[in-house]
Amino acid sequence: MRVLVAEDVEDLATAIAAGLRREGMAVDVVLDGTSALEHLAVTGYDVVVLDRDLPGTHGDEICRRLTARGSSSRVLMLTAASTVRDRVEGLGLGADDYLPKPFDFAELVARIRALGRRSAPSLPPVLEGGDVSLDPSRRVAFRAGRRLELSPKEFGLLEYLLAAGDRVVSAEELLERVWDEAADPFTTAVKQTMRRLRVKLGDPPVIRTVREGGYQIGPL
Amino acid sequence: MRHSRVAATALRLPRRTLRAQLALLYAALFGLAVAVVAAFGVIFKPDFLVRAGCTADPRTPSPPGACGQSGLSFAGTITHDVQQHLAGVALIAVLAVLALGLGWLIAGRVLRPLRTITASARDISAGNLDQRLAISGPDDEFRQLGDTLDGLFGRLEASFGAQRHFVANASHELRTPLTAEKTVLQVALADPDATAATLRSACEKALEWNERQGRLVDALLTLASSERGIERWEPFDLAGIARNVIREQQPDAGRRALRIDAALAAAPTAGDPALAESLIANLVGNAIRHNQDGGHVAITTAVTDGRSAITVSNSGPLIPPDEVDRLFQPFQRLGSERLRAASGHGLGLAIVSTIADVHAAALTASARPEGGLDVTVRFPPQEPPPS
Repeated sequence: MRVLVAEDVEDLATAIAAGLRREGMAVDVVLDGTSALEHLAVTGYDVVVLDRDLPGTHGDEICRRLTARGSSSRVLMLTAASTVRDRVEGLGLGADDYLPKPFDFAELVARIRALGRRSAPSLPPVLEGGDVSLDPSRRVAFRAGRRLELSPKEFGLLEYLLAAGDRVVSAEELLERVWDEAADPFTTAVKQTMRRLRVKLGDPPVIRTVREGGYQIGPL
Repeated sequence: MRHSRVAATALRLPRRTLRAQLALLYAALFGLAVAVVAAFGVIFKPDFLVRAGCTADPRTPSPPGACGQSGLSFAGTITHDVQQHLAGVALIAVLAVLALGLGWLIAGRVLRPLRTITASARDISAGNLDQRLAISGPDDEFRQLGDTLDGLFGRLEASFGAQRHFVANASHELRTPLTAEKTVLQVALADPDATAATLRSACEKALEWNERQGRLVDALLTLASSERGIERWEPFDLAGIARNVIREQQPDAGRRALRIDAALAAAPTAGDPALAESLIANLVGNAIRHNQDGGHVAITTAVTDGRSAITVSNSGPLIPPDEVDRLFQPFQRLGSERLRAASGHGLGLAIVSTIADVHAAALTASARPEGGLDVTVRFPPQEPPPS
């Protein structure tokens, strides 16, 4: 899942990003509203964690523009203003969820996951494909009842492939959705991670390589 | 005794509406006018003086012949007079009722703008403070009342707005450090690969934010106590206080390699020495914090034109001249500044402004063309004013 964290307090933004990355999400951080808009114009994020009081372009304005554009990014608004009126106002601007500060980090993760699930088409809480099952919120994956020990990136790859169903997913798409902007576009990271994931999944293979660099889940 | 109390109660009891009072007043005035006219009519009746001659005052009897002349027809005249008087009284009663009714109508008409003002004012005070009465028409008493109320609503709205703004800002400034602290700690603790080093760095970060919160709470309390005003006026010297403040803040300046130039001539004045120290400490602290490495701070105390004054100037980032006033509002920062654990709490200059206010001291501030700020506080020249 690709997440943009737009928060002007740097310590908070970096802590959130570190925590979310550990949950297997691909996270980019911006510290002001203007760079948030730039990032949103280039990358299709699944979820935007948006501080309402952003310098540069205000969080409300970003939310309004995203809604006007019909963006598929889900917006989770963070704010220190927590009266009912503020929450209603925030949701009225097109935010999909609203979390008042200070929040519990576990709740933030759960809400981001819930929002990611809602991206079209909506996904079940536990993803399944063949004899592989994966629970994003508990961060566990099983093959035929055997628990798989996966790194965050391997987990992210498997999660994305399972969510895609029988659709063929390109390596570029995987790089964009599972890695953050720090990833080099010419890297072989996808290939290498895919190889390690296949080893961990074991036989018989469940991930098919389609010609011209695509991947698909399902028996060979 | 009892009688007078009953009378007093009777006078106080009929607390009617203004309209009823005006109507009654009209009727009473009308009644009075009629009574006066009637009295004149009776007094100037041709035979009144003649009859008065024999009946008016028994102590000065008139000559015997004077009464005897009209004595024969006296009984008939009385009957005629009674009839006439009865008709007159009935007429007066009818007219009085009519006057009361007319008075009621007229009072209602005259007071209609007042009712409109009351209804609108009630509506505005119920929660639409952004609306105004905006009474139009001639510059009469109602217009003046409306304009006065509009002025009052304007000040109330500004005051409530400032209050709301302050609370919103304060909640942001208080909750943000809490959030940063909590998230930093939770993320560090939830890390399965946490090492002593990562946990230590998370704790240090949380402590920084915690110290920031402490400074903010102190500043909020200082602001609240300085808004309360001065309870006890004492004489003090700005130079002495400035010297202490500079000694305390010298290490902060040293860390940023700032040069502090102090020209402290005796500048005696009066007020609350603790608040004055807070004023100077915030001025100097602000000058040190919003400075550039290797910059300078100049602090001058002096008496000019009989007024003791302190001036603090500092180098620093360029401030647009029209932003200067805003910096003295609570929680206002320059546009480029970001909230950090080490950054100021945003109340320093607001505290300076409030303390200057309660001392009736004049505060002037101007942006320096080469960057930085000049702030001067001039204390009033006289002996301590009565509190």
